[in-house]
Amino acid sequence: MDYSEDEMKDFYYTAVRMTTKTDYRVVRELFDLGVIRSHRDMYDLAGRPVNEIEDYGLSNMSFRRVTEWIESNGKVERACEEYMKIAKENGISVISCENSSYPVNFRVLSGMPKVIYCRGDKELLKRCSAKGSAAIVGSRNASRYALYATDRFASDLSSQGITIVSGMALGVDRKAHEAALKGNGSTIAILAGGPDNIYPSENRELYKQIVGKGLIISEMPPGQQPLRQYFPSRNRLIAGLSDCTLIMEAGANSGTLHTASFAASQGKEVFVLPNSIYFENAEGGLKLLEDGCCVLLSTDSVIDAVSQAIIRRKMENPGLEDEPEMKPADKTAKKEELGKIRLKADKTPDEVTDEEWNTLIEDELSAKPLDIDNLCRALGLPFYRISELLVGLQLSGRVVLENGKYALTFL
Amino acid sequence: MSGKPSVARIYSGFARGTDCVISELEVSVTPGIPTFSVIGLCDSSIRESHGRLVSAISSAGFKMPKGHVTINISPAYMKKSGSGFDLAMAMGILFASGQIRFDPERKVYAEGELSLDGNVKGTPGAALRLNKARNSGFSCILIPEEERISARCTGFEGQCVKDLAEACSVFGYKGYTPEHFDLGNIVQYPAERIDISMLKGQEKTRRALILSAAGFHNMLLLGSPGSGKTMAAGILSGILPPLDSDETGEVYALYEAVDGTSARISGERPIRSISPDITPGKLLGNTVSMTPGEMALANHGVLFADEIMEYPSKVLDLMRKPLEDREVRLFRDGISYVYPANILFVGAGNPCKCGMYYEPGSRCRCTAGTRRRYLNRLSGPFLERIDIFSEMRSIGKEDMALMYADGKNAESPQIRERIAECWAMQKERYHEKTFNSCFTSANPADSMRISKDILEYCSELASKGLFSARGYQKTLRLARTIADYEGHSDVLKSDVSEAAVFRAHEL
Repeated sequence: MDYSEDEMKDFYYTAVRMTTKTDYRVVRELFDLGVIRSHRDMYDLAGRPVNEIEDYGLSNMSFRRVTEWIESNGKVERACEEYMKIAKENGISVISCENSSYPVNFRVLSGMPKVIYCRGDKELLKRCSAKGSAAIVGSRNASRYALYATDRFASDLSSQGITIVSGMALGVDRKAHEAALKGNGSTIAILAGGPDNIYPSENRELYKQIVGKGLIISEMPPGQQPLRQYFPSRNRLIAGLSDCTLIMEAGANSGTLHTASFAASQGKEVFVLPNSIYFENAEGGLKLLEDGCCVLLSTDSVIDAVSQAIIRRKMENPGLEDEPEMKPADKTAKKEELGKIRLKADKTPDEVTDEEWNTLIEDELSAKPLDIDNLCRALGLPFYRISELLVGLQLSGRVVLENGKYALTFL
Repeated sequence: MSGKPSVARIYSGFARGTDCVISELEVSVTPGIPTFSVIGLCDSSIRESHGRLVSAISSAGFKMPKGHVTINISPAYMKKSGSGFDLAMAMGILFASGQIRFDPERKVYAEGELSLDGNVKGTPGAALRLNKARNSGFSCILIPEEERISARCTGFEGQCVKDLAEACSVFGYKGYTPEHFDLGNIVQYPAERIDISMLKGQEKTRRALILSAAGFHNMLLLGSPGSGKTMAAGILSGILPPLDSDETGEVYALYEAVDGTSARISGERPIRSISPDITPGKLLGNTVSMTPGEMALANHGVLFADEIMEYPSKVLDLMRKPLEDREVRLFRDGISYVYPANILFVGAGNPCKCGMYYEPGSRCRCTAGTRRRYLNRLSGPFLERIDIFSEMRSIGKEDMALMYADGKNAESPQIRERIAECWAMQKERYHEKTFNSCFTSANPADSMRISKDILEYCSELASKGLFSARGYQKTLRLARTIADYEGHSDVLKSDVSEAAVFRAHEL
């Protein structure tokens, strides 16, 4: 991938921000004084003589910082080249607020990064604006209940065309991405480090899948390590990109709470999954509920919130192009698939895979808990097969044995 | 006559529990005023024999010798009882008094009770005694005609006699004409059994019965009244392979000792049903009369305990040791008596007080507390003897209709053959008659062909709470049986997961 001159200037902008003391206040001052019209003008600014800069009327601190930057411009350019090299190697593209593909949700907020780096399917950003998006975040060591709910909500919402945005952490984040990918829905992961930096490394496999079928976003340049202080800033982007935020589980001091407060301050709906008041790791979420967040009861309320956000967005941005209508991956599609598996199970039961049998078992159990004899009859499987599948489901926590009957996991 | 008494030796036997002792009878006749004494810790049933002997000897055309008749029955330190010594005593008297010529080189065994007219009658415990006598190197064995069936069950050589006169003729003009006794075709097999296809729609129980039979795994069935728990025990007898000839003899011998010659001879494995009002004596055996209890009588077969929740916990705990050791041990006068009890234990009961816990809908009206208290009647150590747990429910309408519609094709015979194959596999694997359920070894995983990753999988299941940690070994054993039944030479993951289903219970 070769980068255009404009894109090179985008990289340069990030390099300035990362390697010098030129922070957002300096940049804003330059904008306010009309020195630059776009962040790309920073590249040209560096070429100008210092005495010219004195005339712009910058405050003392800004002036000092800008001169420092221009004096060490060699270092900045080296960093910029390094970024571009890594980006090129990893197929990372750059999007800035000058591009049409820059997310509308970022554009309408202040304090969003001017340049973002992406890896994966950039079309998802458009889809995200057209079909809406929801952030699903929560604890890294979440309870079974929260994970189960995450799985359900993420797959239901993504089957409605809503993009699932999360942070690719362990626990809830991971589950949310996985559920969306499983149902061929779209998902965006926003990382705290550079887009090529897989963190945590346990999620390597998931990262690859997201690069293949979803999108990785970061405001950090390629090669940047995820530092501790970047995480809250990353949470700000998760809240900013999505139309509403779902908090699945949050402890008293969870970083998830940052995401919630960013979302709330950006005027977006925050849904919190209710949980037991005696469950320690749910304290933060319950506090949010106390503060007036919406209770996450069903996908319907989430879909309402998202569609309202879409309507508002379309009214405010009349030029917003409509995403070509995708085939809705809704409940009928799920039903069709079940029907297909059923047919296959009837005609050629040997060809049905274990996972397909599991789908059938879960479908049977979705109405009410059943005992093993009933399952045998309903599926027409011999006892030893059923028991093998059920124990597998039990082991993976999808099914539990209660009162001699097998039930879908709930709590 | 000289002062040296004339002594004759003859042999007979008596049973002690299921153990048999061959005793030597020494009969001496010395001149003097007629007296009759029997020594050797004999009870009155033996001492009373004097009257029968006098009358029977004269009925046979001989004379009771005039003089001191002393009979010493060895081993002298053991208590003996029973009228089975009569024939041997009479023969001994006739030998000693010289009325019948007797070759001291000959080892003669004789048993049977005499009637006043000289007829010889059988006594209980014949099969046990003959089994012992068979292997003790006698040159001549005489038994009552009535014990012919017992003789056939033990498979030995000897001669049946009707009366004392006939017994004496063996040493006279007729000579000893032994015949060989064997089972032949006297073993009966019941034709009608409840077929396993009656368990339509109760797949788990069906499978549980098969596996329980295939590996001799103790089983517990919990279900509502009318869900077919009692029927399940009947079905079990139909899928258990028949007794082999040794076992038939063993089983008959015990039954004969209890019921006399009216005992059945059957190739079918015994199914002993017990009820909650059973006394310890009836269960383990009476320590006074030394009658075997139900656990001994169920040897090589099934002990079915219906309404297991209603048993006093004391009785259930009495069963623990025999179930573990596969034998019942009774103590009397400081001597232990061992009855083999290689049994398949099947317990059946209600899952809660009202019995409806597993029924569809919410028909159970027990609270969690009531239920727990109810289930607590089964102690942990007792449950540890159980390998398979299965719940049962009353069957639905469709299944009921199906059951009677195509109830003709019996499935039990095929399953029975497959189980017989499983038994053969286990015999080959353990080089003795041991089942998966009771095989003990320092490292069972090796001989059971269970690989390391299967063991790990099993511990993973245990750690996820699918069964208790102490059920780990049981699960592996059951998995081995499943592998045998499915024809897997190594235990597979799927075998372990199925075994886990049978270990999952809420007790």
